[in-house]
Amino acid sequence: MTTTPKGLSLGWAQTRALAANTFRESVRSRVFYILMAFAVAMLLFSAVMSLLTIGSRAKIIIDLGLTVTSFITVMTAIFVGIGLIYTEVEKKTIYNVLSKPLGRAQFIIGRYIGMMAVLAVNLFAMLALLGLLLLLFKGFTWKIFAAGGFIYLELAILTAIALFFSSVTSPVISAICTMAFYIVGHTSSALLESLAPRISGPLGKKAAVWFFHLLPDLNVLNVTNLISYDIPIAHGFTARAIIYTAAYVTLLLTAACMAFSRRDLV
Amino acid sequence: MSSLAIEVKDLAKTFKGHLSIGRIHALRGVDLAVPTGVIYGFLGPNGAGKTTTLKVMAGLLKPDRGEAKLLGVPVGEKRARERIGFLPETPYFYDYLTGAELLMFFGRLHGLGKAALAEKVPALLRIVGLEGKGDLPLRKYSKGMLQRVGLAQALINEPELIILDEPMSGLDPIGRREIRDLILSLRAEGKTVFFSSHILADAEMICDEVAILASGRVVSQGSLEKLLSGEVRFWDVSLSGWSAEAPLAIGQVVTRHDGQLLVRVQLEDDVQTLLDAARSAGARILAVTPHKASLEDLFMSQIPGGAK
Ligand SMILES: Nc1ncnc2c1ncn2[C@@H]1O[C@H](COP(=O)(O)OP(=O)(O)OP(=O)(O)O)[C@@H](O)[C@H]1O
Ligand SMILES: [Mg+2]
Repeated sequence: MTTTPKGLSLGWAQTRALAANTFRESVRSRVFYILMAFAVAMLLFSAVMSLLTIGSRAKIIIDLGLTVTSFITVMTAIFVGIGLIYTEVEKKTIYNVLSKPLGRAQFIIGRYIGMMAVLAVNLFAMLALLGLLLLLFKGFTWKIFAAGGFIYLELAILTAIALFFSSVTSPVISAICTMAFYIVGHTSSALLESLAPRISGPLGKKAAVWFFHLLPDLNVLNVTNLISYDIPIAHGFTARAIIYTAAYVTLLLTAACMAFSRRDLV
Repeated sequence: MSSLAIEVKDLAKTFKGHLSIGRIHALRGVDLAVPTGVIYGFLGPNGAGKTTTLKVMAGLLKPDRGEAKLLGVPVGEKRARERIGFLPETPYFYDYLTGAELLMFFGRLHGLGKAALAEKVPALLRIVGLEGKGDLPLRKYSKGMLQRVGLAQALINEPELIILDEPMSGLDPIGRREIRDLILSLRAEGKTVFFSSHILADAEMICDEVAILASGRVVSQGSLEKLLSGEVRFWDVSLSGWSAEAPLAIGQVVTRHDGQLLVRVQLEDDVQTLLDAARSAGARILAVTPHKASLEDLFMSQIPGGAK
């Protein structure tokens, strides 16, 4: 099929409509507000904690606050993400959507973009609150927004994973697989470091390194320590993180689109 | 350019059976030819394969074998869905949207802009009888209202071909009548309406042509006139004041009540003989009703287990 400019702009208009609808679905659900309330409570809690400890209060608020922000948005990405496609099929709302002149890949991409918009709002709201707390404690730094950027990259990968599983299997299996990915992603580099010295022979070492490269490595996105100890983030680090994320997301969304296009919607 | 709105050839589809044991043959080689500009009834008992066929048309299922074209375009292509409207069996919609928002959303999926939709949405709501209900969340819609908003979304792109799966289900008699009128007005605009149903009376009233599906096969297909050859199958003669105990060498008494008598006869000559006998016995003739073959008779005779 030829993609005329008109076809392209129609395709984009459809994808945008799907994304907007996904966004609306989220902000009209109760879960969204429960999570936000929980996030606010946790952030306030970390501020209270800082009062009870010795040392730099601002540093504690930053450390705790970023951990809380990351944790809550990651949980949102996983647990909303695993339902993104599945519930549409299960509730049969997808019949009407896919009987319109759009492709299934557009549906997947639209859902993904909508979800990333929801997460952007979540993340930004939490960072803004964190910033306010820091102003209050006279320790404001723009670095929390830099950290937020890296959290967002991680969310992009996790949402793509959850969406991929959502398009092929049930929420329970999706949740287990996505959590497993998350855990492996945060431990694989440490595992390699501790295992590497024990593997004998240069060939074995090379094989091990290659194997670990196949595993997700979410630590390429981890800037918590850099922020916490006020170490500047190198440009190379940022570029590598962005490329890594883009590659992973592209791969996962392509796989999701391919798997989903073949499915019978019964 | 073919003048067929829908062309289906040798369509077959199987599903996995219970616990993935065996295959269920939902469609076993369905052929359909639906001309443009007609109202076409797709009839058959529960489980015949109507919904399966319609889902293949909407691009939701991939057939195991065979092909289907809508307005000349193979199903499965995006283009095939541009000029059609589709209403699934029981419409399920995003219940966090209002009726108007839902129509806006589906309109955007057809590439319609804000200005066009601002005009179109209220007009469609009016056509399907949901005027003033556009701002109510779908969560608060009744079954019949959901069916109506489902019809509205099927018309949002001014389709040339409208495919409806059980459009009358869940509607009260008034609602069914309104939907029938709507379907008739669509035909008057030159559109083709293809709908599945097992409410034969509805189909008989408005369809130009029908296909009867049973166990995944089309068992008869054609114009209603031809299928129900105009022949009268029997007459019912209603009489009163005939006291004779055994008056009838002809026909059979259906009911006898309060001096009134309903007699069924098979031949036109017998009707005359009966009426002569009745007059000479001083009885009053209340009514003579010819009965033609109905869609139900045809249906029952075609469906395995239907004929008694
Ligand atoms: N997802 C599925 N998995 C297994 N079997 C299925 C599935 N969908 C349909 N079938 C089977 O295919 C056959 C045809 O079903 P279909 O829904 O097309 O019938 P129908 O004519 O629409 O019936 P109804 O009038 O009840 O709506 C039935 O035997 C049904 O059990
Ligand atoms: Mg059905």
